[in-house]
Amino acid sequence: MLPDSAGAGNGVQRGRRFPREAIVSLLVLAALWELASRNAAIIGIPPIALPGFARIAQSLAGLTVIDVAVTVARVVGALVLSFLLAVACAVAMYRSVAVERYGYPLVRLLMAVPVISWILFAVLWFRQVEFRIGFVLVAVCGPLFLVDMLASMKGVSKELRDMMRSFRPTAAQFFGKLMLPAILPSVLTSWKINLSLAIRVVTIAELVGAVTGIGHQLSVAQELFSVADVFAWTLILVAVLFLLEAVLNRIEAHVLRWRP
Amino acid sequence: MSGLRIEVKALRKAFRQTVSGSEVLAIDRLDFVIEPGEIAAVVGTTGCGKSTLFDVMIGLDAPTDGQLLIGGSEPYADFDGFRGKIATVFQQDRLLPWRSALDNVCLPLELAGVPEAAQRRRAAEWLERLGLAKFMQAYPHELSGGMRQRVAIARAFVLQPAILLADESFGHLDEVTAAELRDTFVALARECGSTAVLITHQLEEAISVGDRVLVFAKPASVLADIRVSDWPRAGHAELRAAIQSTLQGNCLDPRLEPASVLASAFAPGGALHAGA
Repeated sequence: MLPDSAGAGNGVQRGRRFPREAIVSLLVLAALWELASRNAAIIGIPPIALPGFARIAQSLAGLTVIDVAVTVARVVGALVLSFLLAVACAVAMYRSVAVERYGYPLVRLLMAVPVISWILFAVLWFRQVEFRIGFVLVAVCGPLFLVDMLASMKGVSKELRDMMRSFRPTAAQFFGKLMLPAILPSVLTSWKINLSLAIRVVTIAELVGAVTGIGHQLSVAQELFSVADVFAWTLILVAVLFLLEAVLNRIEAHVLRWRP
Repeated sequence: MSGLRIEVKALRKAFRQTVSGSEVLAIDRLDFVIEPGEIAAVVGTTGCGKSTLFDVMIGLDAPTDGQLLIGGSEPYADFDGFRGKIATVFQQDRLLPWRSALDNVCLPLELAGVPEAAQRRRAAEWLERLGLAKFMQAYPHELSGGMRQRVAIARAFVLQPAILLADESFGHLDEVTAAELRDTFVALARECGSTAVLITHQLEEAISVGDRVLVFAKPASVLADIRVSDWPRAGHAELRAAIQSTLQGNCLDPRLEPASVLASAFAPGGALHAGA
């Protein structure tokens, strides 16, 4: 039997209280980093490879907000587009066995293509930067949204579907009042997974094929051999991810408030 | 909305098994008529096709052969034509967990295109009638099993449908709650004038609520069509025993033969006795 603290219910409670352990872990990690930075010469690492927090703070102060905004806009825009396309395809596949039989193998094929291949295809096929990045993000995140959504739709209980059908809804009512609310919990989970994936993919895509955004700035930092800048931009990326996740968590808490 | 006539003519329903491909007969030449406003109870052993009949009546499933007509139309073929006319109370409450009790009762009205203000007023009235005035904003998980089933009953009655169907809707509740809800259901069905069909495996329930009891053979065909009023109240125990014997033997118990029923009706205490 699992100890009480391992229960899912306790997980929710753990999330609500002050995250003391998380803060202690981060402080310990930061202290070890700073210690290693100050003693880099003694442990045989070039000082440039382990910048102290003062140097990292300098880099942070010099970061350009526009690049952060551009990356966030690309991620959010591409996720919204991927989601809408996935909803349309999932509904079509759910409603028609033929569409599913022809379409699903293609979706599996898209999912099997490595991210780097999508980036290279985008660079080779398209001239416009935003189109390249959007294409890569939609190609990577769209199929994931679609597969999750289709599986969730099929998971809606027959009992509820029959109850709903007994009242003769239109197709739009059936999806709007039953299917979408029923799959909402897994849609939100899918958003969280895709958000973290999109942040990583957009960074690589910007690194390879853009002249703006955090990925591009990371590329510049690499060319300048500035570990402090790489560290600073990485911190911003992680912060952006946490911030967007927090927004999703707030949305989740609101729309799933009915859950016990 | 006043009740509609249900007419079942030589109805047959077969399923093909997914793995073996062989045909399984669920309903075999079913014939009966339920008049507008009548309450009929359908009893039969497990797997005799009662729930299949329920699905065909709702229009979720098409008959293989024969006809099931409600008010002269087929609920499967004329699916949308029955919007707002048929309501069901299922075995489990089947409430939408993300909707409050009030919003669950509003659901059929929303689907029928009733204006929002009218939806909420009517839903609130029905919840009040069913003793849930204080729980309108509660989510299903915050309600007991009996309360949830009350919400499901309110959801069915809020449309004031012509046809009410209940599929073993009270069997999973404790005896006291089940009896209370059953009585409420019957009283409301009579008040609305709806034609009601209750599918049940509980003989007491069938005899106490139905104007008629249809006893099904396996696969579903009518073994006995009993008008409960033909039996004196004192004879209900015998009626119960006769139905039980019919179900066990899958053939009509002699006590349910029309001649026996007539004799029973004319016996002292019977519906047709001179002193009755």
